[in-house]
Amino acid sequence: MELQTLDVEVQGRIAHVWLNRPEVRNAINIQMVSELRKLFAYIEDETDVEVLFLGGRGSDFCSGIDLSDFAPEDTPDIHGFNRWEKIGRALERLPALTIAVLHGEVAGGGLQLALACDIRVGSNDSFYHFHDVRMGFIPGMGTFRLAKFIGLGRARRMALTGRQVKSEEAANIGLIDHLSGPDDLWEKAQAALEEFGHLNTHTVQLIRRLLDESFEFSWEDFLGHFLAAQDRAVRMDEFRDFIRRAHKQGTPRGDNDGS
Amino acid sequence: MRPSRIVSVATTNPPDTYTQQDLVELFKTDDPRLIQFFTNSHIKKRHLVLPEPDAGGNISDEDGEALLKKHRHWSVKLGAEVVEGCMAAQGLTPQDVDFMVTVTTTGMLCPSLSSLVSARLEMRRDVQRIDIVGMGCNAGMNGLLTVARFAQANPGKNVVLLSAEICSAGYVFDMTMRTAVVNSLFGDAVSALLVRVNDQDGASDGPRLLDFESYLVSEVSQEMRYDFEDGRWTFYLGRDIPYAIGATIEKPISALLERNNLKKRDITHWVVHSGGKKVVDSIKYNLGITDWDVRHTKTILRNFGNVSSSAFIFSYQELMQEGITREGQYGVTIAMGPGVSIETALVQW
Repeated sequence: MELQTLDVEVQGRIAHVWLNRPEVRNAINIQMVSELRKLFAYIEDETDVEVLFLGGRGSDFCSGIDLSDFAPEDTPDIHGFNRWEKIGRALERLPALTIAVLHGEVAGGGLQLALACDIRVGSNDSFYHFHDVRMGFIPGMGTFRLAKFIGLGRARRMALTGRQVKSEEAANIGLIDHLSGPDDLWEKAQAALEEFGHLNTHTVQLIRRLLDESFEFSWEDFLGHFLAAQDRAVRMDEFRDFIRRAHKQGTPRGDNDGS
Repeated sequence: MRPSRIVSVATTNPPDTYTQQDLVELFKTDDPRLIQFFTNSHIKKRHLVLPEPDAGGNISDEDGEALLKKHRHWSVKLGAEVVEGCMAAQGLTPQDVDFMVTVTTTGMLCPSLSSLVSARLEMRRDVQRIDIVGMGCNAGMNGLLTVARFAQANPGKNVVLLSAEICSAGYVFDMTMRTAVVNSLFGDAVSALLVRVNDQDGASDGPRLLDFESYLVSEVSQEMRYDFEDGRWTFYLGRDIPYAIGATIEKPISALLERNNLKKRDITHWVVHSGGKKVVDSIKYNLGITDWDVRHTKTILRNFGNVSSSAFIFSYQELMQEGITREGQYGVTIAMGPGVSIETALVQW
């Protein structure tokens, strides 16, 4: 796969992906959107990837959307925004665990990508902002996701003011999950993965979807969703293998990490 | 051969609607389990044909003969209306119908429903007909396969699919726990589609019917069935059926998509039978499709109940009325019913 705006290494079950336009601090342009779409389809269809790390080459993770794609005389293209949101959705629903590895500036569309990942690891030089409001612009479906991570009050302050949130505050409010030193960001990201032990990717996908939807439905509706997902989970090899192993070892134990 | 295209749709219902609360009151039930069953449902209202209460406010018990009369009256009357409606939508009359397939599971008629509707509408005497009787909720898709293939083999011919499900005439309608599952679920509806191959038709008329895939889960065949008791039908629906369908749904869908070199993400529109909340949830989580993908399925369930073989046609009509389908987009239609049958189709606007 020929990609210019992304740097990709796939080794067996692990994929490393870097946003790769360091000359513009990885600003997201139309080409990158199209290449992200191709990449996620490739990962899903052609590989056995179970874990995807998403980082950025150069000084920053991502400075946001590339404004050079917009010209004052252009008629607004709402479908372009829709295409972008489909990328966020594809990342959010990828059949692999996704870990955002963040340093430097994490802005706008870059922060949206980070919020679509399962886990966020940030270095202590990282900072986060939805500066879109200052440009008269809406931070995409980041408006849908942000409050679920940090609560409505903090989300309002962040998205309405466009203020920068430094790494330590980001970790404290739940915008990122792990904080690293200046040099051990990728070690920390690897450690974040190890927290999962034996990775049940099918179960991860089902739990992730239920959690994502947990703010949207009544208990009664959600119960039906959970039962449907649980029925699928317990039919899967992952659960059956676990029960088989547990029986071999003696009494089934829920606290067995399965590895 | 060029695939055939759905070019119009018409739907209708008997006039009276009942909320679940209305039924609890009408049948004067005080069994708390029954009341909970009805009022916890995801159905807001349904169209049903029920007898007038007597002077004491009691609903009389209908025998097999009364139920069949009800089926004949409403399926023929409303069937004629929707056939006329879907023809008129393309500037045609019932006399332009060349081939008609009718689908019903709520009553056995001889002469059949297709002959009675043809006579009522004074359709041409050389109209060709097939009656599909007793296949259940999936039968609309079996009928669609039949009309699609006939239309494809006979370009220019006007081919009509008529689905008439007067569920309140289909089986015992009482207020016992034994019948509560089905009596709190099904509603009456009649619908028709016009399908043909014609150069003048385009994506704005409707989608082309590209391919079909069936799947039979015969291991659980007895979990969804009619029983004949005391001269009337009762309908039995096993509690694990929604999950059995969910656990299998990927098989026909994968086969259908792989054969056409498509992935699930290539499918823009999903038209899914409104079987009940559990089975719709089960399909959602097993196929990985969203609540938005099944929005019409849920709307139809909420406002009409499970209208059996007509349900996917009602959902299809909602989708077309939304006006968001675009040329080139793919859709998948799914209906499931006794057998246990899963019937699927790939369509393209």
